[in-house]
Amino acid sequence: MASRKEQKEQARARRLAEEQAAVAHAARRRRMQMLGGVVLAAVVVIAVAIAISSGGSSGSSGPVTGAKATATEKLVDNELAGIPQSGTTLGNPKAPITMVYFGDLECPVCAAFTTGADDGGLPQLIDNQVKQGKVKVEYRSFCTATCNDESQSVFNTQQVAAYAAGLQDRFWNYAELFYHEQGAEGSGYVTPTFLDNLASQVPGLSISKWQTDRQDPDLLSQVESDEATAVKDGLTGTPTVIAEGPKGSDPAQEGIPPYSELVSMINTVQ
Amino acid sequence: MTTATRASTPAGLEAADSRRPSTLTLAILIIAVIGLGDASYLTYVHYNGLQGLICLGAHHGHSSCETVQSSVYSKLDGVPVALLGLIGYVALLLSLLVRGELGRAAGFGVTLIGFGFSAYLTYREIFTIKAICEWCVGSAVCLTVLLILTGVRFLRSDPLPA
Repeated sequence: MASRKEQKEQARARRLAEEQAAVAHAARRRRMQMLGGVVLAAVVVIAVAIAISSGGSSGSSGPVTGAKATATEKLVDNELAGIPQSGTTLGNPKAPITMVYFGDLECPVCAAFTTGADDGGLPQLIDNQVKQGKVKVEYRSFCTATCNDESQSVFNTQQVAAYAAGLQDRFWNYAELFYHEQGAEGSGYVTPTFLDNLASQVPGLSISKWQTDRQDPDLLSQVESDEATAVKDGLTGTPTVIAEGPKGSDPAQEGIPPYSELVSMINTVQ
Repeated sequence: MTTATRASTPAGLEAADSRRPSTLTLAILIIAVIGLGDASYLTYVHYNGLQGLICLGAHHGHSSCETVQSSVYSKLDGVPVALLGLIGYVALLLSLLVRGELGRAAGFGVTLIGFGFSAYLTYREIFTIKAICEWCVGSAVCLTVLLILTGVRFLRSDPLPA
């Protein structure tokens, strides 16, 4: 039988153990609460980020309106102001150098090249060479992103819509607006409303004539002919830019050619 | 004097040990630095032109990284996601300097946010953009490993006050 002193010590040890267990339990509870708080806060931040990201991607899935549309229209108008257009050609028809640009209106890399994002060189080329009448740019269609994610039929419809604007010498306004307001690749944002809205943003475009011209079988033939050329020439991607001049042509440049690369191509062929 | 010094040695060693980072913290540090390098490179390339972007994959004739980096998902309300990743890795590294439960919870929280958003972006790469950027995948892998490590570090730490 344990002595009174031993019983006291045992009771003390039990009490200490219970106290320690209670402290550990409280600490565990506090940590679980902290974990719950951290997870909840993280989920909220992630949800907000995804909502912003998805909103941004679907922002172009419908008509672009208001201040954003006005700003884009102004930007494109300023860039193309005073430059002659004929069909899909931008610049002086007699310019000694031709930059042939194979593109797909849904291709995001073409958008970067055309709008100057990520150092794409087309805006500088237009400012420094096309406006001076030294270079003209000829756009041709080659289905890449659209055919990968959607269909040839969607591609034909959108390219013909731009070519139809070209019959009123406003192809480049339409194409530039398309690239500026491009939605997420493969999200199906190219709807009849999207195409109509772009047309409504092109200054001076007769919408009724544009609608009629979109049915012109010659425009579809032109798109198909562009594609056939791209395939025959062994092109594999868009944008592909080829310089043509008195000294021949510079091989196709893929990726996002910066302005310096375009100048070097021009120097090779002039 | 000698006796006093000898008597204080074990306590001094203990204090030094507690200041030394654990293997877990060291692993987090190394992987976070790798992730930081990855995010820094993508941020640099974003602001200096995608032409220099080193990439193995091809997509429509140009690199798949270019496709991903020029897609609408490469920015969050105008801010490059690569820059957000860079900020996240810096925040994680700074959280390692904060002692105690708060620092560990902050590290886990920052990593969880990075992991969640990175998972969403990977989903977009595979199912929407249909192109893979190895650098983004690299960061996603770093964040997955970091989520496990920071989670273990947070849950395993001694909850009792010193």
